Amino acid sequence: MSTTVDAPDTMISRPRGALVSAMRRNAWTLGLIGILALLLVFTKIIQPTYGARGIQGLAVSVLPLALAAVAQAFAVIARGIDLSIGSMMALTSVVAAALMEDRSEGFAILVVFGVLLLGLLLGAVNGSLIVVTRVPDIVVTLAMLFVWAGCALLVLKTPGGGSAEWLRDLTGGSIIGPWIPKAAVVLGLVVAAIWLPIRRSRLGLSLYAIGSAPLAAYRSGISVNRTKIFAYMLTGLFSALAGLSLTASTGIGIPVPGPYTLMSVAAVVLGGVSLAGGRGGIFGPIIAVVILSLLRTDMTFMNLNTNLATVAQGLILVGVVMIGSLMQLRRDR
Amino acid sequence: MLKNAWFKKFATIVAIAMLAVSCGGDSDSDGNYHIGYSNGGGVGNGFREEQVCTAKAEALASGEITQLTTIHRNTDAAGQLSDIRDLIAADVDAIVFNPNDPDALNPALEEANEAGIRTISVDAFVTNEDTYNLYNNQIDYAYLGAAWLFDQLGGEGVVYYMRGFAGHPADTDRHTGFLKALDENPDIEVVPTIEGVHTGWDPATTTGLINDFIASGQYDGIDGIWTSGMDSQVVDAIQQANLDFVPIVGADLGAFVAQLLDTGGYPGLEGAAVTNTAAVGGAGVGLAIALLNGDDVDTADDALQPNTVLLVPVLAENTSDDGIELLESWQVDGLDPLWPLGLQIEGWTTYTPEQAVACAGPGE
Repeated sequence: MSTTVDAPDTMISRPRGALVSAMRRNAWTLGLIGILALLLVFTKIIQPTYGARGIQGLAVSVLPLALAAVAQAFAVIARGIDLSIGSMMALTSVVAAALMEDRSEGFAILVVFGVLLLGLLLGAVNGSLIVVTRVPDIVVTLAMLFVWAGCALLVLKTPGGGSAEWLRDLTGGSIIGPWIPKAAVVLGLVVAAIWLPIRRSRLGLSLYAIGSAPLAAYRSGISVNRTKIFAYMLTGLFSALAGLSLTASTGIGIPVPGPYTLMSVAAVVLGGVSLAGGRGGIFGPIIAVVILSLLRTDMTFMNLNTNLATVAQGLILVGVVMIGSLMQLRRDR
Repeated sequence: MLKNAWFKKFATIVAIAMLAVSCGGDSDSDGNYHIGYSNGGGVGNGFREEQVCTAKAEALASGEITQLTTIHRNTDAAGQLSDIRDLIAADVDAIVFNPNDPDALNPALEEANEAGIRTISVDAFVTNEDTYNLYNNQIDYAYLGAAWLFDQLGGEGVVYYMRGFAGHPADTDRHTGFLKALDENPDIEVVPTIEGVHTGWDPATTTGLINDFIASGQYDGIDGIWTSGMDSQVVDAIQQANLDFVPIVGADLGAFVAQLLDTGGYPGLEGAAVTNTAAVGGAGVGLAIALLNGDDVDTADDALQPNTVLLVPVLAENTSDDGIELLESWQVDGLDPLWPLGLQIEGWTTYTPEQAVACAGPGE
């Protein structure tokens, strides 16, 4: 078993060596950025009119999935998995929509903070159940998928509710120039504001430690249980953010969970986070989501059968996992 | 050596992909239209599949469309928002879509209208004012069937109420129509509750619901069943349980109409089928062409939204000779039994039933 901990950039070395090692450590993400660049060029070739409007649309559709992928990444890095993300998104989205309907714009600020707290709470329940019952993560979160989905239907029986104007404006359109979509800026700011401080803290390091080698982490004085609950709380928080982004983009709350849970797992795998835990980051899964969405858009431009597009997405995923294991094998050899 | 072979394989795949793209990508229109079609749910459901097929058939038969880009997948409102934005980016002239929600798609529809793209909602309405709506009058659909059923029962009795997809605009409208008929027949009792049960318009869910209903003995206490178009599954389940049929209301789906006409195979089965044509897909494409050509379009004054074209449902039952004759006239050769029979809509579609069954659009 590998006991490597992907530590934050604290390695002290010669500048050039540091650069090379940073590049090596982030090879997967850099590769993804390369693929994304190629894909953008390819898109421009098959659809010459693809421009700022297309990029804006891409950013808006990517936002909920990207936040779901980040949510999943926390659970997976800590050697868990959360199958209830889609349901938590539905629940937080309907709670937000139900509370914001016909209320003032100012009240909506309170609602947003309340919903984020709710996300933390849902995550804490998931994490505590896993830690206390010692039932595998996949089973607990599968069960909670039904619990949260049922709660969402209790809040709103049918799609409905409303959204504050400012929340809708927050993600639609662009800022400064037409090429910088607001949704992308919001995503960047939210992730940076939450993840960067955590990553540089003791807790962030503990997340990777319990994912990489729980026993070693325990022996070096890390509270494995507390860290695990913390990881699931982060997952809950980002699920709530993803739920809010759904309310923001549609203006309503929809109680039936969308296809976000499995897509988040796909994005995490494609984004270079090891399902065995302890390896990977947040940036990779976000790029992966953009790639997956752009692929679907390209298939629309190429007029491919949508069912084929779904098959292609699955094949790409299998291919990526295979390449990932091959790379791992070579590294270990 | 191994690396080299891998590289060769990879290069071949890339080359084939590039070739496929260069062949498929350059169908620029010369004054002809490029239409986008978005269906955000019900993949595998006969109604939705037929709807997409009629859209393809109309695109082909009209001769005015060079390309029909179809996005047909199961997704939520946020997913359909992104599909519509993809179609805007694909530079289409008009977007025909079956909406997942009446309000949620408006941001993308506004963007489409700003880009000069015509938008047509089929099967249900949306609240965007620039969008044209074309759908079956679902309130009338439910009212017609329920009124027939209640009349058949002599105005009193217990009815099992099997609805469609919770929250879908058509399901909500049908509920309104059902309640309207119920108001006129105060001695009818609805089970399990006035809210009914939701089949999700899913055959498997329906079979599960009716089997549970039969197994629990509740079937013995009812006098009729109203279904929101999941009908042949109900008939089959009663047949398999060796029980006597109660009158059943369903939609104009091939399998159900065949059951209604097959007196030998389903002795004692009385029922009525209400048309809910899936040709709204084809009619939506027809409406898109009319709008792009600048033709005048007659719209309904009494609809909930402006710019609405309402299609009127028709009921046919197997309890009278006229009804049986009408049911027989609906049948189409070669059509999947779980697909609705009303393949054409006068004034809106130009294709033949064979073209709809073939399910091929321009260039396919």
